[in-house]
Amino acid sequence: MVTVTTRNPADRLTEEQILLRDTVRQLAVERIAPRAAEIDRTSEFPEDIRQLLAQQDVLGLPFPVEFGGVGGDLLTVCLAIEEIAKACATSSLILIVQVLGSLPLTLAGTPEQQARFFPALASGRTLAAFGLTEPEAGSDVAAARTRAVRDGDGYVLNGTKRFITNGSVAGLITVFAVTDPEAPRHRRLSCFAVEVPTPGFRVERLEHKLGIRGSPTAELAFEDVRVPAANRIGAEGDGFSIAMATLDRSRPGVAAQAVGIAQGALDTAVAYARDRRQFNQRIGDFQMVAAMLADMDSQIEAARQLLYTACAEIEAGGPDIGRWSAMCKLVAGDTAMRVTTDAVQVLGGYGYIDEFPVERMMRDAKITQIYEGTQQVQRLVIARALLGRPAS
Amino acid sequence: MHIVVLTKPVPDPAAAAERLGPDHRLDRAASPAVVNANDEYALEAALKLVEASGGEITLLTMAPAGGADTMRKALAMGATRGIQVTDPVLAGSDVRSTAAVLAAALGELTFDLVLAGADTSDGGGGVVPAGIAALLRLPYLSNAARIEPDAGSGRVKVRRITPTGYDVLEAPMPALIVCTQALGEPRYPSLKGIMAARSKEIAARALADLGSDPSGLGGAASTTTVLETRRPPARGATTVVRGTPGEGAAAIVNFLATRRII
Amino acid sequence: MATIWVVGELNGDGSLARVSTEAATLARTLATAAGAEAAGIVVAADPSSAATELATYVSRVVSITDPEAAGHVWASIAAERVAEVIGSDPGTTVLVGAGPDGRDVAGALSALTGLGVLVNAIGVTWADGGPAVEMSVFGGKLITTSGFTSKGGIITIRPNTVTAEVAGTIGRIEPAAPSGSLSLPKVAITEQVVEAGAAAPIEEARIIVSGGRGVGGAAGFELVASVAAALNGAVGATRAAVDAGWIPYAQQIGQTGKIVKPELYLALGISGAIQHKVGMQTAGTIVAVNRDPDAPIAEFADLVVVGDLFEVVPALLLALEARAG
Repeated sequence: MVTVTTRNPADRLTEEQILLRDTVRQLAVERIAPRAAEIDRTSEFPEDIRQLLAQQDVLGLPFPVEFGGVGGDLLTVCLAIEEIAKACATSSLILIVQVLGSLPLTLAGTPEQQARFFPALASGRTLAAFGLTEPEAGSDVAAARTRAVRDGDGYVLNGTKRFITNGSVAGLITVFAVTDPEAPRHRRLSCFAVEVPTPGFRVERLEHKLGIRGSPTAELAFEDVRVPAANRIGAEGDGFSIAMATLDRSRPGVAAQAVGIAQGALDTAVAYARDRRQFNQRIGDFQMVAAMLADMDSQIEAARQLLYTACAEIEAGGPDIGRWSAMCKLVAGDTAMRVTTDAVQVLGGYGYIDEFPVERMMRDAKITQIYEGTQQVQRLVIARALLGRPAS
Repeated sequence: MHIVVLTKPVPDPAAAAERLGPDHRLDRAASPAVVNANDEYALEAALKLVEASGGEITLLTMAPAGGADTMRKALAMGATRGIQVTDPVLAGSDVRSTAAVLAAALGELTFDLVLAGADTSDGGGGVVPAGIAALLRLPYLSNAARIEPDAGSGRVKVRRITPTGYDVLEAPMPALIVCTQALGEPRYPSLKGIMAARSKEIAARALADLGSDPSGLGGAASTTTVLETRRPPARGATTVVRGTPGEGAAAIVNFLATRRII
Repeated sequence: MATIWVVGELNGDGSLARVSTEAATLARTLATAAGAEAAGIVVAADPSSAATELATYVSRVVSITDPEAAGHVWASIAAERVAEVIGSDPGTTVLVGAGPDGRDVAGALSALTGLGVLVNAIGVTWADGGPAVEMSVFGGKLITTSGFTSKGGIITIRPNTVTAEVAGTIGRIEPAAPSGSLSLPKVAITEQVVEAGAAAPIEEARIIVSGGRGVGGAAGFELVASVAAALNGAVGATRAAVDAGWIPYAQQIGQTGKIVKPELYLALGISGAIQHKVGMQTAGTIVAVNRDPDAPIAEFADLVVVGDLFEVVPALLLALEARAG
């Protein structure tokens, strides 16, 4: 397959980042890409890929060196996600969710909590999941109903979480539950590190999905699940702000996934347009096809550059990180959907069947417009940054 | 155990963008550089030996300034440090000169083993390691499929692949061994390894540092010269046969018969 | 009279290696063009058989009986003895094979004599008072012709560069004893193991039937081997097939394996990636069986049969049998 090379200016990526990206790219090309179609077809969680990512320290990327991690910054993590997603969106989600599920601990965990949980997460022995969404609380996070009631030296959790990525394979779930129903909307939730399996915890079912099929999306039931108070992350009532801060830092990962999916689709479309001949010429030499490819390439590069800038802005910790994070996911997710759809079009009938990966990529791309905040929520976040919250 | 692994940056064969410059030397700007693939097998062999019995690995390369970029990957795989001999005089070095310079650089080091790859992908003929061994009067063991050093006796056993099987060779250390792919797949650098490679030393050495007399070395003293270059003759058109397996088989037999191969 | 030397390499049984018969034929052609003498050197504990054979190609063979060569690695000993014979004239030309033994001799001989080396020759002519050496570089994209500044040097010759032809007359053999003690360390051979099924070196095979990822497994390679047997050829493989453990490394063709130039290369389930292509693209005839008509190999094969090799190959075996029948 032909790969369109991206020449990164040295002032943007460090030597380590380039080497790291190239290493993950080699892993993705040699070890992950050959598995991608099968993972999609069987809808089975790719345990072999998880072990590969663990063994090569990819899952350790977001964790500090002192806890056995690699200490990669946000951009470095996103470079790795992008390279994996180019080959297999499902596999990239293993890293994305390792970041997402552990971010509450990174942002609000005590040093003791980090020392307890990070080594197993950094080594990849334990996978993390992020337990926020509920059947009735999607975009409206504060509407969560799962309860956590104080009981002696711990809490008792009851409720249901839905659409929890890796919920069935995780060993540590950061769960958001209502500790004070009477408090103002944004002070009702608290965050808990729930180690599973544990009595009262059940995986109710796994969803059948349009894309990212090898990534288990679980409905989780909590029935009188006891959690020690030492596992509460942050203070009581901090849950909502922890969740929002988490999403601000995790959305670039989804943007990176989207950029990767789009690039993978473009690479396939370009290779096809070079090889496929109709009417005695390469189909890429037809202007209508050429223009599609040029647009796809330009849009991907625009999304990628916005993502890299957003990573730098978020890493610098400016006041505006919600806007950067929302913008990069919005642009990248829409780009992925458009580019993969066009890639299917370039391949015509071959694009619509599973002989080529673009139909899978098109199905996988859709989720990047939905999870970690729909594109509509992203626009809301950006608009609020511009306009301020509406007066209530 | 201290092992020196000889590595060379070469144009990435996968990029297939190699070309000669107007001076008939490799145009290194035309193509991204990578560590020569066979050298990675040698490094992997060295890493396994050091993991088994402890020790250090020094990478040694002769390359233009900037060649250190590719060495980072080898350091990330687990080598301890790198030494890069670089000198403007050395551009266009021939086999004899390359062997002499690497031998001089090895002369500054103490080591138990020197490992080299079977050959290089950028037109190397696999003759430099034998030259180095001869210059340093080191035991030379090539085509290795297995390497078993014994620190106690100070000797190394090597399985050398032969056309009919293998020979078991034995020599005292220090020795120079040319590795084959049969020693095992090179590992991917781990991400921790990449981050750790940042702080590993890559020492630059000029000819003066090695005490080498530049007059007999490098492009100016080359024993060989490119007289001309040409494109290889194009192969004839490809015949494509689609049909039943029987038709395909018949097409092959007829084709071979026409060409008097069978 | 100037001399074009050829170093005789030996098979395990003491006979002359095929690549040396080709190098000797080439040395004779060059000597005629140069007005020089073609001469051979054989170094062995018992050089008689190889020296006798080499003398059918060149007019003079120096046959050095060196007891040290028994039980020790041949190349460095041979290089040192050859250096003693050829002296230090920078105008001397020496031909050796481009296989493992020849490379080892060439490198050591260069270090001992200061002669330059040109490697992997695919053709050598005589021009302007010295050899002009053709080499295929950059994965076969370019052919360079190079010479030696001193008009003499060491050249390693790829197998199948020329067709070996004996001379009209038999050359004289000059038995010789080693002239001094060795300065290069000897390496002891403590054991020689013959592995069952080890095939003849694929570099020298006239026909190679090769399998890639598409062969699917070790069982699939039995199918490859039966075609090779039917064609009286050798079995080759891609790196993917070797890495998967379906076939030994010795059979690997390509960037990190062997470079071959057979008359026929029959590629079964091989996509033809550049790393493999560089090892076989100079084959006389390339025939591919592949399910994917757009695989890269279709760009440089002479004949591509589009189809499942597990269906085409059994049919091919039947067709070959019928033809032989």
